[in-house]
Amino acid sequence: MQRFVRPQLMLRGSQQTILPTAGQPCRNSISAVPCVRGRGYSVLPPTNDEEEKAMLHRMMRVDHAGEYGANRIYAGQMAVLGCTQTRPLIQEMWDQEKQHLSKFNEILGDNRIRPTLLLPLWNIAGFALGAGSALLGKEGAMACTVAVEESISEHYNSQIRTLMEKDPEKYTELLQMIKEFRDDEMEHHDTGLEHDAESVPGYQLMKAIIQAGCKAAIYVSQRV
Amino acid sequence: MAALVRGLRAGRVLRGLGSVQGIVSPQCRNVRRGFHRATLLRLADDSKSGTSVPPPSFHEVPTAGESSSSSEPLEDGQPNTSYQDQSGEHGEDYETEEQLQVRILTSALEFVPEHGWTVEAIAAGAETLGLSSASTGMFNNGAGDLVLHFVAQCNAQLAETLAEQHNLVQLGQAESKETAEFLRDAVEMRLRMLIPYIDTWPQAMSILLLPHNIPDSLKHLSTMVDDVWYYAGDRSTDMNWYTRRAALTGIFNTTELVMVQDSSPDFEETWDFLDNRIKDVVNMANTAKQVQATGEALVQGLMGAAITLKNLTGMNQRR
Repeated sequence: MQRFVRPQLMLRGSQQTILPTAGQPCRNSISAVPCVRGRGYSVLPPTNDEEEKAMLHRMMRVDHAGEYGANRIYAGQMAVLGCTQTRPLIQEMWDQEKQHLSKFNEILGDNRIRPTLLLPLWNIAGFALGAGSALLGKEGAMACTVAVEESISEHYNSQIRTLMEKDPEKYTELLQMIKEFRDDEMEHHDTGLEHDAESVPGYQLMKAIIQAGCKAAIYVSQRV
Repeated sequence: MAALVRGLRAGRVLRGLGSVQGIVSPQCRNVRRGFHRATLLRLADDSKSGTSVPPPSFHEVPTAGESSSSSEPLEDGQPNTSYQDQSGEHGEDYETEEQLQVRILTSALEFVPEHGWTVEAIAAGAETLGLSSASTGMFNNGAGDLVLHFVAQCNAQLAETLAEQHNLVQLGQAESKETAEFLRDAVEMRLRMLIPYIDTWPQAMSILLLPHNIPDSLKHLSTMVDDVWYYAGDRSTDMNWYTRRAALTGIFNTTELVMVQDSSPDFEETWDFLDNRIKDVVNMANTAKQVQATGEALVQGLMGAAITLKNLTGMNQRR
């Protein structure tokens, strides 16, 4: 008799309340106001140029949306393949994405950057993509991972290029962070390839469709 | 004789400004915006409000000053020394168009109770500064400029006060407030700034609703609401960001409407209305949380039932 296994469904990524309940002090219901003086450095360089600020905010907004989407994709894959042997592999990649997401949450909060309005859409679409690709089996999930991680790496690369063209010294910390994340995503991509991503039937078609979707998502998240 | 000299000086200023008008470029516009902000806060400092200039503007002022010399090379026969002078209080020969406009609009506010939010108020304000009433020609948007300036000034004052309170809390010299109380106090503080102009405020509101003013008034409103939530401690990065700000915008707008027709002593009815709206929103949030928790519990229950069923029918075993 197999062990009784209950799949964990993550219904909502965020634990935050919509609005604070009465009778609770500010610190409990909403994250405490960070002590700005306590932080040694900030990833985004302080600037007073409106255009530069808008550009940096746009970049962080779309990166945040990307990590959020990736998070949901892995959640979808885990929901379907959570009982199989691929569980530890997906879990490891998912944990890294969670780390990336929390870093972006921190940046958005510190710099008062508006998150994209399309987050609920990426929530559903990401989960559906992850679950749908995982229904094709482990190879399907890996193919999805390869496609998405390749798109994200390309996106990070173009951001790195933009920042390097502008002023590498000013954006040192930001560049370092983006490079680190890009390297993580490339690692996931390579892991996916190692685990037979290419052996799924219709691999090229699936990859093309997913990458087109990712490009569209990035384009829209930069503007909304 | 003195009037003649003043008229000549005003004429020179206007001619100088006129020649500058033609070379507005996107870069210039950004510089002007930077100016506008910097000088707005500076002049708020110089005027009777007496609040301290917040740190960010100190960074703006030197950069704005350095680029001013490149953006306005065509001042008629006047030495281009505006970048040296940042106090904005010296004669109009040494200040930029933005600083001058801000000064005129600030002094025009005194005449609003008398003339309403109109170009006459701006003209009266210009005259107290020793300029001719024809300088209202500088303001393409007329009364709209005056109302938007006032709104921006109030919002800046609110942001400064909230920042000061925030600092005191960080230093441990003050208690941090509950969110509902914080929101209530912030909205009340902001609405109290309307009290001197409350009789003419409906006119101002209708000006803000004119189609060409809507983008700017929405921008001011959204910045103000964002500031209030930021200092209330909101660091959310999901849909809560939007729902919180939408809720506060609704509270603020409806309370403002109640305030313009409130005749109770010290606007008690308005503050009661505000209390009730905030309570409503808090209740709605609690209800939403409960519904969410119930929903999750229900789904977990259903999943458990499904697993049980699968176990009973033997489908869960691997053969």
